[in-house]
Amino acid sequence: MSPVTRMYGVVAMVTALIASNAIAADDKEIIDYREHIMKTLNEQSAALGMMLSMAVPDDNAIAHMEAIALAAKMAPKAFEPKVQGGQSKPEVWTNWDDFSKRMDDFAKKTDEMVRVAKTKGAATAMGNIIEYLPCKSCHDVYRDESKK
Amino acid sequence: MTRPRPRLSGLVLALVLMSPVSSRADDQDVIDYRQHIMKTMNEEAAAIAQILQQKIPAADFATHAEILAITAATAKKAFEPKVPGGEAKPVLWANWKDFSKRLDDLTAATADLARKAKEGGMAAAAPRVQSALTCDSCHDIYREKKD
Repeated sequence: MSPVTRMYGVVAMVTALIASNAIAADDKEIIDYREHIMKTLNEQSAALGMMLSMAVPDDNAIAHMEAIALAAKMAPKAFEPKVQGGQSKPEVWTNWDDFSKRMDDFAKKTDEMVRVAKTKGAATAMGNIIEYLPCKSCHDVYRDESKK
Repeated sequence: MTRPRPRLSGLVLALVLMSPVSSRADDQDVIDYRQHIMKTMNEEAAAIAQILQQKIPAADFATHAEILAITAATAKKAFEPKVPGGEAKPVLWANWKDFSKRLDDLTAATADLARKAKEGGMAAAAPRVQSALTCDSCHDIYREKKD
């Protein structure tokens, strides 16, 4: 192998390494970002759950519902980049039509939850909370619980 | 004739034994609840930071700011019960006037940030992020970091 060919080989290898590192860094950002949104949903749902079980007063119930509805709206876009990792199973992207439909439905349901809470009171919305927050049905299919 | 007394003592003993347990459970709920709020703020602030560093598209900047504002407004009530624990230092309740004023300021500043972001997008709101999210100045005094 001539020195020039060897140099081209080294340059190609270094370029490939740099490129793969850059992609890995971007991928981590995408995973982190969608996890921020999902953790917001988790924390706010847990706060609402504490109110449902009467562990804490429900003064902030509507605020928690609003935060959930806003986060739910952002979630589908955060999963659009096909970047596997975190707790997402590969099925998120292989079954994208189903997953994105579930996410869209979730956003609509949480919007409805806020509308009901504001028009008929937080207690009425809380009465249908399982219908508005079907988190588990999606997690059972698309979330890898072993990667916490 | 002395029989009822032991029974009464048993009842009193049972109540004494039960009450600390139920009070501990209540305290843990209070701590858990405020931690849900603070963790939400942490997640949303981190998402905003990623957007500001241009690691993530800015499309949802205003929505993150809105969640931050909504959540900040719930924090004060969550800290009202004087229950030390979690990462909250006891000085938080000893200096309640200062702490609650800081939370009021945070609520006002994040509401302003959210309004600016909604009206003018990230370009209009970004210069206000640093002054709105003064998390460290409060954490330095009132938070005991437990990793």
